[in-house]
Amino acid sequence: MNSVTEKIVPVGTLLIGIVIGWYVLAVFMNAPFQRDMDRRANVAPGTIEFLQSTLSQAKPIVPAPHQVAQNVFENTFLRKVTSNRSLVYHAAVTLSSTLLGFTFGTILGVLIAVGIVHVAALDRSLMPWIIASQTIPILAIAPMIIVVLAAINITGLLPKALISTYLSFFPVAVGMVKGLRSPDLMLLDLMHTYNASPSQVFWKLRVPASVPFLFASMKVAIAASLVGAIVGELPTGAVAGIGAKLLSASYFSNTIDMWAALVAGSIVAMLLVGLVGLASNIVEHAMGARPT
Amino acid sequence: MSIQSLSWQSWVVLLLALIAMLTLPFTIDSAGFSAAQTALVLALLIGAAIGDGLRLPVVSKAVLFFLAAHIAAWLLIAGIAGQEGSGRASFFCAIAAAWLLAWRCVSLLSSVRSRSRLTGALLRILIPTIFGAWILILWEAVVRGAGVPFILLPPPAAVGQRLMNSLPVLGADVRQTILKSVLIGYAIGCGAGFVTAILADRVAFLRKGLLPIGNMVSALPIIGVAPIMVMWFGFDWPSKAAVVVVMTFFPMLVNTVAGLAAASHMERDLMRTYASGYWQTLWKLRLPAAAPFIFNALKINSTLALIGAIVAEFFGTPVVGMGFRISTEVGRMNIDMVWAEIAVAAVAGSVFYGVIALIERATTFWHPSIRGG
Amino acid sequence: MKKMTFSLFATAMALGAFQAQAADPVTLQLKWVTQSQFAGYYVAKDKGFYEEEGLDVTIKPGGPDIAPEQVIAGGGADVIVDWMGGALAARDKGVGLVNIAQPFKKAGMELVCPKDGPVKTEADFKGHTLGVWFFGNEYPFYAWMNKLGYPTEGGADGVTVLKQSFDVQPLIQKQADCISVMTYNEYWQLIDAGYKPEDLIVFNYSAMGNDLLEDGLYAMEDKLKDPAFEDKMVRFVRASMKGWKYATENPDEAADIVVENGGQDENHQKRMMGEVAKLIDNADGKLIEAAYERTAKALLDQKIITKEPSGAWTSAITDKAIK
Repeated sequence: MNSVTEKIVPVGTLLIGIVIGWYVLAVFMNAPFQRDMDRRANVAPGTIEFLQSTLSQAKPIVPAPHQVAQNVFENTFLRKVTSNRSLVYHAAVTLSSTLLGFTFGTILGVLIAVGIVHVAALDRSLMPWIIASQTIPILAIAPMIIVVLAAINITGLLPKALISTYLSFFPVAVGMVKGLRSPDLMLLDLMHTYNASPSQVFWKLRVPASVPFLFASMKVAIAASLVGAIVGELPTGAVAGIGAKLLSASYFSNTIDMWAALVAGSIVAMLLVGLVGLASNIVEHAMGARPT
Repeated sequence: MSIQSLSWQSWVVLLLALIAMLTLPFTIDSAGFSAAQTALVLALLIGAAIGDGLRLPVVSKAVLFFLAAHIAAWLLIAGIAGQEGSGRASFFCAIAAAWLLAWRCVSLLSSVRSRSRLTGALLRILIPTIFGAWILILWEAVVRGAGVPFILLPPPAAVGQRLMNSLPVLGADVRQTILKSVLIGYAIGCGAGFVTAILADRVAFLRKGLLPIGNMVSALPIIGVAPIMVMWFGFDWPSKAAVVVVMTFFPMLVNTVAGLAAASHMERDLMRTYASGYWQTLWKLRLPAAAPFIFNALKINSTLALIGAIVAEFFGTPVVGMGFRISTEVGRMNIDMVWAEIAVAAVAGSVFYGVIALIERATTFWHPSIRGG
Repeated sequence: MKKMTFSLFATAMALGAFQAQAADPVTLQLKWVTQSQFAGYYVAKDKGFYEEEGLDVTIKPGGPDIAPEQVIAGGGADVIVDWMGGALAARDKGVGLVNIAQPFKKAGMELVCPKDGPVKTEADFKGHTLGVWFFGNEYPFYAWMNKLGYPTEGGADGVTVLKQSFDVQPLIQKQADCISVMTYNEYWQLIDAGYKPEDLIVFNYSAMGNDLLEDGLYAMEDKLKDPAFEDKMVRFVRASMKGWKYATENPDEAADIVVENGGQDENHQKRMMGEVAKLIDNADGKLIEAAYERTAKALLDQKIITKEPSGAWTSAITDKAIK
């Protein structure tokens, strides 16, 4: 109990601080436009009124926390899940391509890592290019990639998922190379003395040793997949998904909607990372690791 | 001369060369290829594959494969140039066979165990270079052979030409995006993350509050704040730098805090017996121990910063910058320019990453992860 | 459940395809997101005008990073909505786009400046910052600046160009002295933001005679050589113009149809429909040659295209479609 309060108090204090700072920022950033509005409307409000109006603009530069919270709440709980205005619906669309891309990315990353660890030619030629691949601003050309893929009749979920794959295979590949190489010489020699075949060494020693690395890199990969899915939604004509919601809100400067979409994306990210963490705890526990 | 068994690559090369021979000509109406050229390509492929059975020193065999693969590929690409879209199955089989020869060459080179450091370093550069070159060769051959429309995917040769012809424009874009947005944002973001980590290390209350929040924010799709930053900081580079700051701050914070916990109790107790204060311990023990973590964050951030700045330029810019150029040139159908810009971004990103990796090697040469690596 | 609905959907699709075997498929790629700017096509689809012509039309919305020219060249669409500037520039690059109909007679683009700002007339542009969209929408602006003789590289004698976002924030935040708006879209966002019409100075491209043709329908030249495809396009244009006619006569219903298809903000769409109707004129879709000549000349003058375009438009389709 004590340890819980010890955790909650500092985090809570900081969060409250952030919210207060946010309110101050909102007043400060929205004031100039409010003054322009009042000047055009020829009204001279009092200080309290002025503060109220800066925190209740329809399209503020910085929406106040309560405006965002209200928007998220309305669009999450008060709308039909199938409605185009429901954040749940958009989150589900983004989630589906995130998970598909993440699955592909993890499989690809593991395969590449196994190849690098076992094939000398790959080990010597692939690693620099894997790093270089991430310096290509794939997010910047995501729209073009989606158009090109649409030209060869790959449309819908797959192109978005492929962008997620591109971003998520990297952490998995790097982490798994480290993981598969993590058993030290002593253990490898032990396997030798048992006269173990390479495949036995792989399954009985390297794979179990790499599990913690796999989960650690999957946490990074799933966050990267989500970013890929959101950016991949931008050029789909703003139809569905958190990215599309963000974009269509920004066309009409609906800043409150924009922030709400960001909050929804963040909630999805936290859920995903939390799920990977949970899976990692369960698996490591089953494999007999010490509970952390 | 004695005979040894062929590698699997050579068997497949023989098979592909046979298919290519049966399905000749390379192109529709054999446009672009004379009979002599066709024969030369097939002779190179088959000759090299059979040569694999000779017991030669590894290096000379690798040279043989290297030459055969690249001359064949060059002949094929030179022949198809100007005859776009006329490639037939035979052409693609020949290209695949040449690629396998190159693979065999890389396998041979990988098995070379040289004692001299110079040869080792040369091999370290040569092997990935062959791999990278073949990505471009296959791209060129497939795009030209299959006649992919230029505005969907231009061949690398056209991109290279465009790159050479528009160096001033690309230079201006690099100045705007990399020298201003990326570097300034990166320095501020990493610096602030580092200072905050030290602060959190000093104040336990802050650490307990910041770490969970930092871990959480590291996983968020931060790139989404780009349009908001453009609204706040205007259209020029400050808004892009702001996005970079936000993107790089949290990885640095989380990694540095983790790194500061890396020094063991034994070592800390030793420092205490020397009666060293907090700052001395930090400077002489804990920061060096944290160096691998800090460099890890610097490396992650180098790619994040570049992507963040380029994507942020989609939401409003002055008429210069890499992101601006990429998005507008797509609209103007200059897809070769788009790829030239991407190539520049990739090179810049790799150089950035490489420089940080070199600094890491120079400063943490004593660390097991470097000594062993 | 999801699988279930999907299989039901697939079955329905298959059945539909089976029943409507006679219907020819047509894919239309829009230049921008679903909004009343494209009401005619959505109305034609919704009211069954396409079906009457034996067409099965798929409408693909566009977006900020979708170049319709690239989509059609890649085979992702049969016909696109595009601005003449972008289409001619693509034709110059070897994408054989041909204008087959021109529903929008007038341009909706204008530059607006706040009255309390530094810019009152064209002469005041010098040394100030003007916002414009890119992605094929920058051509009219550059042609106009070229005509005025202002360099666009900034400095005291020229104008500084901003690639503006897709909203009116740059003006509200005073990041630009003037911004580009469409009469039917962003202009109203400014009014919503508290500007009154008398607070704004408007430079309308059409009124100044600097307009370049906007939303037209374009198809690929090589495909049009096939009589069957040409006939399909004739039917498509006929039904589309019928849709436009209906939309201009019943603006509110048309806006509703747009909102049902994913358009944002009902009131905004209704207003947009009213403004778009002014640009349509009489819905015959015929291209006015003088406007084409002016567009081509402006693009040639500022070297956006390298040579005089030929065969970039045809009246064959509209002549057959609109009797």
